[in-house]
Amino acid sequence: MDMSTVEHAMLTPSATSAPASGTKVTARACNVYYGEKHALKDVSVDIPERSITAFIGPSGCGKSTFLRCINRMNDTIASCRVTGKIEIDGQDIYDPALDVVQLRARVGMVFQKPNPFPKSIYENVAYGPRIHGIAKSKSDLDEVVISSLEKAGLLKEVKDRLNDSGTGLSGGQQQRLCIARAIAVSPEVILMDEPCSALDPIATAKVEELMDELKANYTIIIVTHSMQQAARVSQRTAFFHLGNLVEVGDTRQIFTNPKEQRTQDYITGRFG
Amino acid sequence: MTDISMDIARPEPKFRLDLTSDAARARIRSRYRAETRFKAYGIAALTVTALFLAVLMFDILRNGLPAFWQHSLLLDVPVAADIVDPAGKREAGAIKGADYFPLMRNALNAAIPGIESRSASKQLTRVLSVGAPDRLRDMLVADPSLIGKTIKVPLLLSDDADLYYKGAGTGIDDRAGRGTATPSGRTGEITVLTSSNDFAEELQNIKLRLKSVADTISRDAGRIERSGPDQAQRVASMRAEVANLANRYQQPGNAEALDSKVPSVLVAINGGLVKATRLDASGITGDVLLPLKSAEEAKPGTWKVVHYSTPESDRKVTDQEVAFLERLREAGAVDRHFNWRFFTTGDSREPELAGIRGALTGTALTLLVTLLLCLPIGVMAAVYLEEFAPKNRWTDVVEVNINNLAAVPSIVFGLLGLAVFLNFFGLPRSAPLVGGLVLALLVLPTIIIAARAALKAVPPSIKEAALGVGASHQQAVFHHVLPLAMPGIMTGTIIGMAHALGETAPLLMIGMVAFIVDVPTAFTDAATVLPVQIYLWSDLPEPAFQSKTAAAIVVLLAFLFLMNGAAIWLRKKFERRW
Ligand SMILES: Nc1ncnc2c1ncn2[C@@H]1O[C@H](COP(=O)(O)OP(=O)(O)OP(=O)(O)O)[C@@H](O)[C@H]1O
Ligand SMILES: [Mg+2]
Repeated sequence: MDMSTVEHAMLTPSATSAPASGTKVTARACNVYYGEKHALKDVSVDIPERSITAFIGPSGCGKSTFLRCINRMNDTIASCRVTGKIEIDGQDIYDPALDVVQLRARVGMVFQKPNPFPKSIYENVAYGPRIHGIAKSKSDLDEVVISSLEKAGLLKEVKDRLNDSGTGLSGGQQQRLCIARAIAVSPEVILMDEPCSALDPIATAKVEELMDELKANYTIIIVTHSMQQAARVSQRTAFFHLGNLVEVGDTRQIFTNPKEQRTQDYITGRFG
Repeated sequence: MTDISMDIARPEPKFRLDLTSDAARARIRSRYRAETRFKAYGIAALTVTALFLAVLMFDILRNGLPAFWQHSLLLDVPVAADIVDPAGKREAGAIKGADYFPLMRNALNAAIPGIESRSASKQLTRVLSVGAPDRLRDMLVADPSLIGKTIKVPLLLSDDADLYYKGAGTGIDDRAGRGTATPSGRTGEITVLTSSNDFAEELQNIKLRLKSVADTISRDAGRIERSGPDQAQRVASMRAEVANLANRYQQPGNAEALDSKVPSVLVAINGGLVKATRLDASGITGDVLLPLKSAEEAKPGTWKVVHYSTPESDRKVTDQEVAFLERLREAGAVDRHFNWRFFTTGDSREPELAGIRGALTGTALTLLVTLLLCLPIGVMAAVYLEEFAPKNRWTDVVEVNINNLAAVPSIVFGLLGLAVFLNFFGLPRSAPLVGGLVLALLVLPTIIIAARAALKAVPPSIKEAALGVGASHQQAVFHHVLPLAMPGIMTGTIIGMAHALGETAPLLMIGMVAFIVDVPTAFTDAATVLPVQIYLWSDLPEPAFQSKTAAAIVVLLAFLFLMNGAAIWLRKKFERRW
């Protein structure tokens, strides 16, 4: 029954739909097991390019699990097993021939807890470009670092102390540093797992503003527990429950006119 | 969810927090008591530990610190050219090979003139170490123009003389003579008679001692007699001895002989010193230790009765030597200086010449081998096990066995080293190379365990962050996880090395326990290490070596403290909060 809902939602783009120029990420019949535990059940979804897609759902429903499938971060968990198919630009990312390191360069990730390297701000941002050989010279590298910090909206605050430790920044600044670090390797997709959960409203607003700007060039997927945030920033929303993808559709439609009773119950706060 | 009506009477809850009843108060009191008790145990344990430590440190320092100082004689040595360089070519080889003993003897004889007896002059030269000419020889080799001149050089004292000046000799007291004393000669065996009963007190002491000896013998005889009749003959001879002694102590006027078991009695008169061998109340018969300037009679108050309170048999220096050493001290010839030699020479049979340079170098070479092997192997093994190894039965077995290895007694590693490195591979015995290999086996598990703990302590979010920007697993580990774990790894390594530094048993097994004089210069030279040197010295009978043992322990402990201090410093400096 889930499948039909999903297909239905996908096949009938509403009039208010964001101008999705194409599909960036496609998942088909995706299942994830942690050992015996079936954490993600038969998820199929299309994620449009250059827009923001929000994953919502109660705790433990599998949002992070699915997000981590998209850059194969689940590979690092020994007990984790993924079946089904996930494609980016039509390319199967679980193809054994595919280099997972390159995939992760194409699909950046920002974690729930800010996790800057305990190095200088500059080194934090420069690390990705350096290992991928993006910048040929020192000046190129400087340029990448500055423009990434600029795009992440952090440059103004840190331009005088690029050599200070990244861990010395405030929580919100650290999270934007992590975003700058992620975009420094110019990924196509940016995955954000509850990026604002540790931030105050002002820092949250900055990050949201930033996402809004970034969506012009990047495909962004964000996991959030804040319905308001999902409503504010995303064009599309997917609702997960107990490992199932219950409903996916235009954000406005999900929040005003959900097709599923469970979605309705969740967004009105009746459970979760 | 929030529509619980407030006006519904709340039922009395079944379980309530009780803070006021007697039972509750009793509970609180017993909790406080338990906490006080626990605190007291802790403080008691700490106090006991601190006490033991303080006693240990005090004892080691008290014994060891004097060994860092040494005494020499600053004498004018006439460097006779015909002795040092009979060929007159002034070449280094000849100067080095010359016999310096006559020079030393001449210098001593000049300092204490008039010694005639062979035994006395032998004892005079025995005051100096066999290494005494070393300094002079070095000076002459460096500057042959000194030959023929008289130069002031410090001549190293022998260990016994050195210990004497450090206070391990005898108490000396004296009192002025009351009567007029008349010596019968200037040298050799003489008598000194006094006009008053100057030696009555000494004589009485001797008689008292005879009495106590007699009492002891008679008590023993009684015991043997009671135990059975079969030793009647022995009892009879003991009784006879008692009678003989009684005869002596009951006649207070009789002269008595002095032996080496009683405090020595001497007479300082006319600038010389006579040691009493037999005395009665008004005179002594004795040997001249330091020749008298004249045999004239000495007025009351100008001569002295001297006591060396420690009996001669209970000390390492004879009365003759004490006399020499005191005379030299009065002459201001004794020079106390820091014992650099202790740090610059290898082992020796002569305590005053023995140093820890050989052992220190051996330790350094051995630990270098250990470190060079352990650090890379240990860290790489830890990184592989912690970050890359598949988690399966085999890695579990490896892990368990590494932990087991850390607990294997070190002597077992010594035996292993003996069997494998010496007998199978045929590496040289007693070599730092083999010592280092054996200690590496010993320290490796410690380092692996410490390194794994340090790697584990790096939060996984750092690795995820690196993976998230497209670093490979290996890049993430080597660029981020390993550097962050490095302080912890270094701390573990230093503590492991400190452990190796103090290790003795396995090195005994591979023969690093030999007496080695030369300072090792290569990894395959025969060598010993500091703890083994301590073990070797502690076994030697000379009291000076006991002191050296303690001094070497002080050095070893200093290194251990230094290494542990470095570990703490590293930990503090690089401690990170995430
Ligand atoms: N490493 C793991 N090993 C085993 N089970 C896991 C692991 N990670 C997640 N799970 C399980 O998978 C399920 C989905 O977890 P997931 O982290 O995706 O939830 P989530 O939707 O992100 O929740 P939250 O909103 O609380 O972050 C949960 O039941 C969780 O217990
Ligand atoms: Mg989550």
